[in-house]
Amino acid sequence: MAKTILFVDDSASMRQILKMAISAAGYEVTTADDGKQGLAKAEEQRYNLIISDVNMPNMNGIEMLKAIKAGRTNKFTPVVMLTTEAGDEMKQQGKAAGAKVWVVKPFKPDQLLVVIKKLIG
Amino acid sequence: MNSPVDAENNSYWDNRFSRTAVKLLPGGFFACAGEEMIVTVLGSCISVCLFETQLKIGGMNHFMLPETKNALSNQFKDVEKENKQSYVYQDSNAARYGNVAMELLINEIIKLGGHRKNLTAKIFGGGSVTRSSIDIGEKNINYIKEYLALENITITKQDVGGTHPRKVYFVPKINDVYVKAIRNIHNNTIEQRETRYQKTLIQSANNVFYL
Repeated sequence: MAKTILFVDDSASMRQILKMAISAAGYEVTTADDGKQGLAKAEEQRYNLIISDVNMPNMNGIEMLKAIKAGRTNKFTPVVMLTTEAGDEMKQQGKAAGAKVWVVKPFKPDQLLVVIKKLIG
Repeated sequence: MNSPVDAENNSYWDNRFSRTAVKLLPGGFFACAGEEMIVTVLGSCISVCLFETQLKIGGMNHFMLPETKNALSNQFKDVEKENKQSYVYQDSNAARYGNVAMELLINEIIKLGGHRKNLTAKIFGGGSVTRSSIDIGEKNINYIKEYLALENITITKQDVGGTHPRKVYFVPKINDVYVKAIRNIHNNTIEQRETRYQKTLIQSANNVFYL
């Protein structure tokens, strides 16, 4: 069975770009438009990996991550933050919230696939 | 790369408009909730002026897409061949850079309290200023139109293409834009600046951090 990835980003074009990049490598991708929707989807089903943007309306990526880690369904699911934020302070916030990897946009699909393979095979 | 403008060191009092003007160079972006005016000069680059219709705030960026066709992975090329319907699929590598240039500006507006769904856009630039920039300008125009359509952001005004550079003045607070066509070019400063900026786009940096 294909491994499942939840991708959360408020940009429709970014969702399209990423979905194309990782679906092509054989992963099954579900998308959500903001942190609130991402959290709702993460409570419904267990994923192998979660990739999320940081700056989003309604609920940002860090808040969403904290809520996911506080819940049950995806408590142990590895999380990758994919963001334009490059500052160390933000990275530390991500680490404290439980993120495993911090990827700064723009990224190359190959770079992201290396990260995904490392985390979930 | 794209970076926020240091407004304090890049602003001046504009007598003609009686406003503080913040200067944007290629790769720059700036958003504000105040009375400032944002000014930039465009050759084949694009500037998008975003306006948050409810909060009456906004911002502007100044960017172009990198030339990255040959940097695509083989695996990606196959997928793209099958999906010719949109620019996002045709050159997704460049599209990712364009996406970031837009996202950086949108995030600034969101940080000021704005909402994505309230945004409208005015777009400028993409001129064929030199013979070699014909494709670049057009590519930038096509990209931004597709991006905005995909993101559901309405274009309320545009002045793009042509053969001349433009000077753009934008007052976010009132969503007012004044565009001046630059007909007499005395030197190639605009072109040089844009070329220098475009070169910085394809430099690969380490952007993956294991926490």
